Amino acid sequence: MKKNVLSVILAVLTLLAFTGCGTKPTAEPAPQKTDVEKIRIALVLPATVDDMAWGQSMVDGLKEVQKSMGEDKVEVAISEKLGNAVDAGSAIRQYATQGYEIIFAHGSQYQSVLNDIAKDFPETTFAYGTGFATQPNIFAYDPQAQEGGYLLGILAAHMTKSGVVGIIGPVESGDAVKYNYGVQQGVAKGKADVQTRIAYTGSFNDIVGAGNLAKTQMSAGADILTGSSQQAVGAVRAIGETEGNYWLSTDMDQSSIAPNHVLASQVYHWEKVVTKIIELRKQGTLGGQHLTLTLADGTIEFKYNEKLADKVPAEVKAAVEAAKQEIISGKLKVELPKK
Amino acid sequence: MGEKIEHLEMRGITKRFPGVLSNNKVNIQLKTGEVLAILGENGAGKTTLMNILYGLYQPDAGKILLNGKSVRINSPSEAIELGIGMVHQHFMLVPTLTVCENVILGLSKNFFMDLKTAAKRIKEITDTYGLAINPDAYVWQLSVGEQQRVEIVKALYRGANLLILDEPTAVLTPQEANDLIQLLKNMSEKGNSIILISHKLNEVMAVSDRVTVLRDGEVCADVNTRETSQEELARLMVGRDMAPCRREGAFSPGKPVLELQDVFARGDKGTDALAGVSLRIREGEILGIAGVSGNGQKELAEVIAGLRKTSRGKIVLNGKESTQMSPSRIIEQGLGYIPEDRIHVGTIPSFSIWENLILKDHHQPPFTKHFLLQNRTIMSHSSSQVEKYGIKTPTLETPTGRLSGGNIQRVVLAREITRKPVALVAAYPTRGLDIGATEYLHSKLLEARSNGIGVLLISEDLEELTNVCDRIAVLYEGRIMKVIPVEEADERILGLLMAGIAEEAQVQA
Amino acid sequence: MDGVMSADIIVIILATGIRLATPFLLAALGEMFVQRSGVYNLGVEGIMMMGAFAGFYATLQLGTPLLGIAISLAIGALMGLIMAVVSVTFKAEQGISGIGLYMFGWGLSGLLFRLYVGGVTSIDGLKPIAIPLLSNIPIIGPVLFNHNGLVYTAFLLVPLSGLILYKTSWGLNVRAVGNKPEAADTLGVSVVRIRYECLILGGMLAALAGAFLTIGQANMYADNITAGRGFIAIALVYFGRWSPWGILLGSLLFSMADSFQSMVQVLGINFPYELAVILPYLVTIIALAISYGRVWAPAALGKPFQRGTRG
Repeated sequence: MKKNVLSVILAVLTLLAFTGCGTKPTAEPAPQKTDVEKIRIALVLPATVDDMAWGQSMVDGLKEVQKSMGEDKVEVAISEKLGNAVDAGSAIRQYATQGYEIIFAHGSQYQSVLNDIAKDFPETTFAYGTGFATQPNIFAYDPQAQEGGYLLGILAAHMTKSGVVGIIGPVESGDAVKYNYGVQQGVAKGKADVQTRIAYTGSFNDIVGAGNLAKTQMSAGADILTGSSQQAVGAVRAIGETEGNYWLSTDMDQSSIAPNHVLASQVYHWEKVVTKIIELRKQGTLGGQHLTLTLADGTIEFKYNEKLADKVPAEVKAAVEAAKQEIISGKLKVELPKK
Repeated sequence: MGEKIEHLEMRGITKRFPGVLSNNKVNIQLKTGEVLAILGENGAGKTTLMNILYGLYQPDAGKILLNGKSVRINSPSEAIELGIGMVHQHFMLVPTLTVCENVILGLSKNFFMDLKTAAKRIKEITDTYGLAINPDAYVWQLSVGEQQRVEIVKALYRGANLLILDEPTAVLTPQEANDLIQLLKNMSEKGNSIILISHKLNEVMAVSDRVTVLRDGEVCADVNTRETSQEELARLMVGRDMAPCRREGAFSPGKPVLELQDVFARGDKGTDALAGVSLRIREGEILGIAGVSGNGQKELAEVIAGLRKTSRGKIVLNGKESTQMSPSRIIEQGLGYIPEDRIHVGTIPSFSIWENLILKDHHQPPFTKHFLLQNRTIMSHSSSQVEKYGIKTPTLETPTGRLSGGNIQRVVLAREITRKPVALVAAYPTRGLDIGATEYLHSKLLEARSNGIGVLLISEDLEELTNVCDRIAVLYEGRIMKVIPVEEADERILGLLMAGIAEEAQVQA
Repeated sequence: MDGVMSADIIVIILATGIRLATPFLLAALGEMFVQRSGVYNLGVEGIMMMGAFAGFYATLQLGTPLLGIAISLAIGALMGLIMAVVSVTFKAEQGISGIGLYMFGWGLSGLLFRLYVGGVTSIDGLKPIAIPLLSNIPIIGPVLFNHNGLVYTAFLLVPLSGLILYKTSWGLNVRAVGNKPEAADTLGVSVVRIRYECLILGGMLAALAGAFLTIGQANMYADNITAGRGFIAIALVYFGRWSPWGILLGSLLFSMADSFQSMVQVLGINFPYELAVILPYLVTIIALAISYGRVWAPAALGKPFQRGTRG
């Protein structure tokens, strides 16, 4: 029947349009081991490669590795918008079948699907995070988001004029919880009378919702805001339209969105994690390690927005720096929320 | 709007559909103030002819002359422009709109509707013809008869002076039908021309000035009503002499075979469709259920057949309580069922004739032995049934859905009666059938009666009920208004009961 | 001000609620016309995404949000036209073609963004317009009269839609076509034409709802920016019983509950956040469940129109 044929054509067309931008396979077709030295890395992302947050920070890290090791030595393939673990699973399996040696599944939700797939490809290295459970060929990576959060919290406590710091939470889980808890402790440490207010949107990718929540936070008195996940850019943009409010960014430096409003950032240096995994693999360790990102090993960096650095009084900078050194030296351990 | 239609002629109209010659050189004529009845059995080509006049179809040959001038009518809107209005059998009204909105639908060229002026004009029209309609009422609030009047107003509002009515009384109570006939007479006296499509002889006799009889797509007679009779018209229409079925033999009912005691059941809308129905059908009697459809008839039939749950009350079939029985147990217990929807419920349209004939018994001997269908037995059984019940079909393998309505009903009838039920429920068994098929069905029901089967006949055709039944129960809003012996039942009393008026009927009866 | 619902806080909640209700109102009013004509378009979300992108991109390139709105409307009309061709002319199953349109809009907007923009890019969106005098009225002023133009447009569209639906000839045609298309057809009202017009209008309003998200709220674009708002809009059409005022009520109820729960969270009132974020849905479902009365779904909803062949 005409109707059915049309429906099928439509479905196929939309699927094409959909996958056409959903998956972004490598530009060059995989050369079959012509160069023994070349390492092939695949990355599966829940959101986009340019989300100015979790996903992009990893993409930037991989590009960094490519640059330092040489474009001809490292091949990178990326699939994005795979928030659904089942869809992500088929992409991961495909990469493994195509002979990618290291596959990053960049989200805590991929843990179980990875466990399934990794058994079938014992020679392939898989990595995912945030997480800690490993398998012989699965690395788990785990940014200690609370460390940078703590420093940003101290900064916020000193910089707020209204005495209210607002957190735009996505969903109360994983990385976000650690980060938020770190900020709360930092604020409390910085100034006892400054309040921290957490509100969640219930979503990771609702940028309009995050923007609206930021507006509500500000109208209720918060003048310094922060928050994790890819939706955060909506909040950054909302703050960018105001006067006298600041944003503290995490995962990566978001100051390009609002140069006059992003005061400081916690930046993840994924290139170091990726390099480490490549090295371990070369030495024959395919997985099984829980890799943390910390201030101490430089995989987490605390960074001021240079443009605004002079707005931060020297004694505040000193307080932040002191805390940072305490964390690095191990004298201070930023607590994690008790489960 | 064109000039007033003083004279209409359709000349030599031929219309062919794939495999069917629906109209063959049909001529009709009509002049102002005249009521022309077009009489014919189903499939005689009446509706096709009128759809050509209304612009829904184009004729393959022939022409339409209005006031002597040849016209082409390409669409209903062109027909309306010319002053032709049509009241369809299934009303073309939007239930969620008001009367006024329905009337002006498609007319207004202005951005904003002018409902006030429209209501005023509607009032003028209704006053002229003595129609009581509130222009602000929603159509869903109106009775069927009122809706029909809205259809007529709609046509008149558009300046129609030639009105086509397709089987207008089929959905009306007898009182409403009488009102309509009065209205049509009134309209024709005021200079409108009316074409009435019908297969009901009595109303044709009551209202028309002239009758054109169609048979197999051809005009077989064109007579003045005054100069003819019902018998002659019936003969012309069917093409042979008709002997109306009458009950014969004494009425000597036996023991009860089907009993309903204070039965309640919910309809599809969740309200009580049956609200305390008590009935008793005995061996060898036909109990009729009269009533305007939608008063619980469908639910009554389904409750008895086990297809709908009762919410209260008890049903006893052949001496055993069947209230909670499954449909298949009820069949085993001896119930025959001719459902309202003979095509989709009564048969499986894509199944062949022989499959449909054994649908209820295929799992048991003689049709099945050792889990295998006994083809030879089945085929000989089927061909004898086809012969006995006069089922017109090319082969036994023909899908039942390809047969005409009358022949499908014969298949159902053959299957149900051959099973020798103790009780038979027939819901609107003749609806949509032509006279010949109706006559046949009546004779079979009477035959079942004389064989001692208790028959429950649900119908909205009072003539059928008074001809065939021994007693008639009137169903109104899920209740039995009254059960009366057929001798005491006349159209007026039944009509009042069907309208829910018990007292007057009581006094008069 | 801790945990106390002061007058200021209430003003913030109400003003935010008004702002949040805008995209729902726009999209749902459009979908109301579509469904009133007998078609349901599940592709609203996809059209919103395309409208969001078109509005964003045009504003970015041309520098003025007004042109962004105009181009977004044009894209919305085009998307509505596609749905009309598929579901009215070719009579494809409406549920499937609507979901197809949603996926098409999602995929295409993401692709175009990647091809022509990429990365987080800000635009200068619509600025609030404080209505002179009215915006100075205490409480009501800031709640109602200090928003951007699209907010006013959305709320003015409510009475306007009512006027169009119930007082104009075109509105009468729409209601007739959605309830009994064969009746409309016999009276010379073109069912196909009315359904095309409604789908195009619905597409334009859905695109406008999307443009509001990029030009009127976020002032940027990101993948999946609508985050399910189009589907909520469709649900609100049912909630509102296909009437503009009902849709207004539903949109406000949902958005006020959303605004309220955000504030409850922000003020640190002790309330589990999981419950808070589902509050708008909960309130809406409960309101729907306890409201009663006859439901006037357009009788021909979802049924392609086919003129009877043989009478």
